[in-house]
Amino acid sequence: MNKEKMSYMKTEIKNYDKIVRAELLFTPLLIALPLIIGVFLIYDWYVRGFSENNAAFTGQLMLGVIILIGNIVFDIPFIKSLVKSIIVLSKSKK
Amino acid sequence: MIEVVKKLEEFEGEVVKKFQDTRRRINSIDIDVHWYRRAFHAFGASLLFYYMLPNLDWINLLKFWVPPAIVVTAVVIEILRIKGKVSSDHFFGLRMYEKDRIGSYVFFAVAIIVLLRFFPQPIAIPCILCACLSDPIMGEVRHRFRMKYVYIFGFLVCMLFFSVAWYKADVRLLLLASFVGAFGAVIGETKKFWWLDDDFMIQMLPAILLGIIWIALPYIGFGDPGNSLDIIYPGIWPW
Repeated sequence: MNKEKMSYMKTEIKNYDKIVRAELLFTPLLIALPLIIGVFLIYDWYVRGFSENNAAFTGQLMLGVIILIGNIVFDIPFIKSLVKSIIVLSKSKK
Repeated sequence: MIEVVKKLEEFEGEVVKKFQDTRRRINSIDIDVHWYRRAFHAFGASLLFYYMLPNLDWINLLKFWVPPAIVVTAVVIEILRIKGKVSSDHFFGLRMYEKDRIGSYVFFAVAIIVLLRFFPQPIAIPCILCACLSDPIMGEVRHRFRMKYVYIFGFLVCMLFFSVAWYKADVRLLLLASFVGAFGAVIGETKKFWWLDDDFMIQMLPAILLGIIWIALPYIGFGDPGNSLDIIYPGIWPW
């Protein structure tokens, strides 16, 4: 596919604020839920696997770590770019 | 009369200023869309929580009906968007090729539901992880390096996910599943079609290949694995 088709669709000016607001509202869920699930998988491994010496739960530990690291890797640049956008927005409103 | 003209000129100046300001804000959000899509992909990994839900009647009922209901709603919204009844402006982060086609997120969701519903855990979990984490990783590698590194890096990352999901299996089976799964995922991601999204292919192609191996397991001397290869166990919660 060419670059033009891979580019992102532009938003009409009248809907721009609504979309940014929706994105900001959705961000806590987007960031927090995978982290909670990752921590929960590790916690479950600790309670039912590590504490009871049951090796069957090792997979949950590995999955928990993968989900945590994978999400943190993409969440950091996402939050950075979001903060950058908010700064630009607040400056332009002044 | 002169006052009215002056006021009109002032108003025009304000409109132009506001327009330029908004334009600058729109340009600033471009970087955000890119990382928003990446974060959205990674968010999908949290759907593995499905396997942790306890086996209670009412939860099983929810597990059966809620995911298809969400997908059907998304499909209806997408059809309305394509027909022009809902403006594409209400959707954040769509690419140009998705303008006249169902959005990638629907393909992503449909593939996840098919995997959760019809495939065993050792197949479904790594395939979902490939779409959620390998896909954005390969996208970033494609941004920065040459195409051959996408294949190499993507293959290694996918292989890691498949080997984690099959770690309870016999070593020969683990290696076979990791190799076939990673091969399918990389092909599914790199071969792009307008009508069939890579978010669907990266999940379904390795799943189908591994599904064939899964069915053939008793005939190639590994026996029927049943639930012995499951890696996530339903929770035992107070309610």
